[in-house]
Amino acid sequence: MTGNLKKSAKILVFSTEKISDPAIDMAGLLKLHYPPTVYTITIPCSSGIKPSWILHAFEKGFDGVFIAADGSDCVYGETCTEKTGNLVSAAHEQMKAKDIEPARLRMAAICSVCSEAFVKQIRSFNEYLIKTLHAQEL
Amino acid sequence: MKRLGVYICHCGGNISDYVDVEEVRKAVEHEEGVVLAKTTMFACSDSNQNDMVSDIKKHKLDGVVVASCSPKLHLVTFRNVTERGDLNKYTYVHANIREQASWAHSDDKQGATGKAIHLVKAAIAKSRYAEPLYPNQIEAEKTIAVIGAGIAGLKAAASISDKNINVILIEKENRVGGHAAELGDLFMSDEKGYDLVNRVYNDIVQRENVTILTGSEVISSKGSIGDFTLKIRKRPQNAGDPVETMEIKVGSMVVATGFESYIPKEGEFDYVVNENVIALPEFKLLVDKSTGDRLIYKGKTIKNIVYIYCVGSRQNEGGNTYCSRFCCTSVIHTSIEAKKKFKNIYNIHLNRGIRTYGKQELLYAESLKMGDIYLQFDQTTPPEITSNGKNSIVTVTDILSEGKKMSVEADLIVLVTGMVPRSDQSVGTMLKIPKGRDKFYNEVHIKLRPVETVIDGITIAGACQGPKNISESVNSALSAATKSFSYVSKGTLETEPIIAVINEDSCSWCGKCLEACPFDAIEKRNVNSREIAVVNSSVCKGCGMCAPVCPPDAINLIGYRNEEIISMIDVLA
Amino acid sequence: MSSENKTIKFDALIVGAGIAGGEAALNLANSGYKVLLVEKERSIGGKMILLSKVFPTLDCSACITTPKVSEIARHKNITIFTESEVTDISKTADNDFIAHITKKPRYVHVEDCTACQLCEKACPVSVRDQYQYGLIGRKAAFIPFSIANPKAAAIDIENCTLCGACEKVCPTSCIDFTMETEYFELHAKTVIMASGFSLFDPLEIPRYGYERYKNVITSMQMEREIAPTRPYNTILRPGDGKVPDKIAYVLCVGSRDQTVGNPICSQICCMYSIKQAQLLMGALPMADVTIYYINIRSFGKGFEEFYQQAKGMGVNFVKGKVGKISELENGNLILRYEDISEGVVKEAEHDMVVLSVGAKSNPSVANIFQEGRLKFDPYNFIAQSDLMGSPSKTSIEGVFVAGTATGPMDIPDSILSAGSASSDAISYLIQHETV
Repeated sequence: MTGNLKKSAKILVFSTEKISDPAIDMAGLLKLHYPPTVYTITIPCSSGIKPSWILHAFEKGFDGVFIAADGSDCVYGETCTEKTGNLVSAAHEQMKAKDIEPARLRMAAICSVCSEAFVKQIRSFNEYLIKTLHAQEL
Repeated sequence: MKRLGVYICHCGGNISDYVDVEEVRKAVEHEEGVVLAKTTMFACSDSNQNDMVSDIKKHKLDGVVVASCSPKLHLVTFRNVTERGDLNKYTYVHANIREQASWAHSDDKQGATGKAIHLVKAAIAKSRYAEPLYPNQIEAEKTIAVIGAGIAGLKAAASISDKNINVILIEKENRVGGHAAELGDLFMSDEKGYDLVNRVYNDIVQRENVTILTGSEVISSKGSIGDFTLKIRKRPQNAGDPVETMEIKVGSMVVATGFESYIPKEGEFDYVVNENVIALPEFKLLVDKSTGDRLIYKGKTIKNIVYIYCVGSRQNEGGNTYCSRFCCTSVIHTSIEAKKKFKNIYNIHLNRGIRTYGKQELLYAESLKMGDIYLQFDQTTPPEITSNGKNSIVTVTDILSEGKKMSVEADLIVLVTGMVPRSDQSVGTMLKIPKGRDKFYNEVHIKLRPVETVIDGITIAGACQGPKNISESVNSALSAATKSFSYVSKGTLETEPIIAVINEDSCSWCGKCLEACPFDAIEKRNVNSREIAVVNSSVCKGCGMCAPVCPPDAINLIGYRNEEIISMIDVLA
Repeated sequence: MSSENKTIKFDALIVGAGIAGGEAALNLANSGYKVLLVEKERSIGGKMILLSKVFPTLDCSACITTPKVSEIARHKNITIFTESEVTDISKTADNDFIAHITKKPRYVHVEDCTACQLCEKACPVSVRDQYQYGLIGRKAAFIPFSIANPKAAAIDIENCTLCGACEKVCPTSCIDFTMETEYFELHAKTVIMASGFSLFDPLEIPRYGYERYKNVITSMQMEREIAPTRPYNTILRPGDGKVPDKIAYVLCVGSRDQTVGNPICSQICCMYSIKQAQLLMGALPMADVTIYYINIRSFGKGFEEFYQQAKGMGVNFVKGKVGKISELENGNLILRYEDISEGVVKEAEHDMVVLSVGAKSNPSVANIFQEGRLKFDPYNFIAQSDLMGSPSKTSIEGVFVAGTATGPMDIPDSILSAGSASSDAISYLIQHETV
């Protein structure tokens, strides 16, 4: 039983079809566990995420948003890392304006076989979110 | 309201052992628009596929959701099922409840079931917006350009011509054949490099569907798969002639621009400063061109030849870290040739581990049998070259004999140099072909799509992709030729309909989208006397990079529009 | 019993449905040609589908193979015969080959089977599972392996006791013991030989103790131990189920070795051993992995970097040829080897030894062509008649060769070679088109 204690934060993950989603799939294949309140929406490229979607997720009650970025493996070109970085900064700005802690949005490059890295990132993000947002429930 | 059918897969037990599929079914059967919700043992089995087709017709479904394994495995399968049910295949939506629910959370069945319910609901939400899409049909020019007429380019051209497609072979130099045309004896063959080149060249030069442009360079490229326009500049053949430029239209391209031999830096193992030091290509030429029973270099009879391997290859970070793969075999082959052709040749090979892979091993065995000496050095203690006044002395620390220092007198020192990428990468830059860490052109995937580049319609062949010997280059050239052929052979081709769309009313051209687009797929156009951005649907790859940078949020990616993503977020939250 | 030939016609016959044959089939089929793909195993996908991850990218092999394999299986221009053998091929004219094919019965109607595994549970017979390279057992009614294609049960009739238990539990009644061997006469316009390679049998080198010593396994067995669809779900030594912590790799087992009649280099073993070593270091962080080698041949794109990465991770590389392996009472193994850098003979104890076996020719195709018209090289690989100009051409015009049927090669090279063979085959078909 999970009990009444809140162990897992609600996290929205944006993954990418060709790079990071395969890694998340493989985490499942390898039975590398992470909290079941982590939900993935898959898009072609991490540079195509609109900051407004991220803001909407926070408004709807997500504790955190995690961008599993293409990084330098992006199939659409080398500029992806920079562009994903730009949209993350833009989202951070908008979050600050709405008084949302910027640390609730995280990004890491997840290559197509980086399952362990993904799980490690998600677990530590989850811990962070639990500690900062749900401390009183613990 | 759409009429949706939802199928939840047990996947044998892969899903149902951890996710209560019946609970998922109950949780979604009353969702708006769902007229049918079923569980199935194997959604992908032929029997269930047939059920789906008849369900679509019987229940007049106009949208289908399958919750099963990863879409990477079966998205296409179920799109095709949808199509067999006479629905547009892009109305199909997939939910991954195996890799991302049952397996990922096999430690928490309740959690896994809860997540599966959310994921299926999100797929249903997305399905409400999924619209029929139609691949872009475009005309394909039935001509292929091959850039570079080395052995890879020549063979690619021959192979395309064999398939009754026009070829335009473009070569920067005034002659064809590249490096192979400079080679004498080839290893594992009785043919000489120049004879091989002549054989292939003579085979294609008279063909009606082959145009060979030597002394020519591609200076610009416009368009996309099926319809590229290349501007070519042909150098004048005679002094005083004007420079010729021409435009050609091709449906696809094979890039076979080859490699350069590594040229040691001045002083690197005494290169240039010591006249007894030459690089591998010079040595091969010397052995091939020399006649008589003695090997003479700069007037001197050569007896002791010392070979220093891996010059410019397998270096530390900062240098060329890769192995050039052909050089071990190439130099061993030439050293055997030298010994057979000339009297009193003694070969001493200072190497870093011999890599005569496959059947090439037989050459190494032959060389050992002939008495060649092999000493091995470590990268940290490279051989040193000194002089005794008369001759060069090479000193090596041999790791095969407990690091003993050995010195040999050398009449000739051959630096075994490898392959490096072309210093002139203008073709790659112009066509936007990505490069790997080694600076050679990069394929999409070394196993799945080894000759394709991320630019649709452009393939890469031969050593421009990485070091290769002739046989390997030809294999890659023929693979690239077939791929390029398949793009244009039907005269038309289909491109994915998932592209960016711009809301004309809210766009007031600012250029940010064009800046973000890696493919130049956006044009400024004047529509109803307003300047707006327009997406070129045959060039757009559907990455969506333009969407977040648009200040008035006028850009959406089909299949990932605001309303779709927002509705999914609403359901998941 | 009916042994009458059924006559069938295709544009191309491809012998072998491994990754090379499959790639060639897709190229031809995508160009509109009808292909018959003949495979002797119960699944297509060859050896690659059984691998763990592939070098140097460490992609999961199944993840690359399965989509390819399902594309092949789904293609409307490709017909697949599994459990089938081409018994002979003759060329009657340019553009006309006649082949005879024997298709063994599976005793299961594949189209009705849902791979529910109930038959497997019901079957009382246990035998060694060849698809897990003997590491575990399987039933006589069984699904070859979890990602097999077709993914359907099969009856291993040689071991079946005909008890009927499987038939009783089968929910779709797809098991059918009345199925018989079928014989076909095929007319095809071109042939691609993609018959692959076989692994060296380490029993030929008794001093390594394979099968006598339980903790000496082959690299293919280790491949299964670390695959996602692995038998034990962890890495352990077969002798006593202990998780090994000092693993040795012996390279060039059956390669570069005149004493076993194979002087050539198998070209893949260095890299797959380095890959396995990296995966082992990841799975068993406390384990020592030592690779005993003659030369490390990391020559392909990204290979040298991959080798350096393994060194950086702490894999031990010892330049030395292993002479003899002996077993201790606790199942550990003593390797006697010549340490080349010190020029002395040494001994080292390991608790598990992996023999990196080489690639040899596939003997089953040697006599397919009548009158010995298809030429072979001295090592019984199919000879390439124009190695430099057209590497896929053979001694018979219209017969092409793809992948490791010509000699050892890695997956990227096999795929390129398949591209080359299909290119030449398409050209041949177009050039011989009758208007």
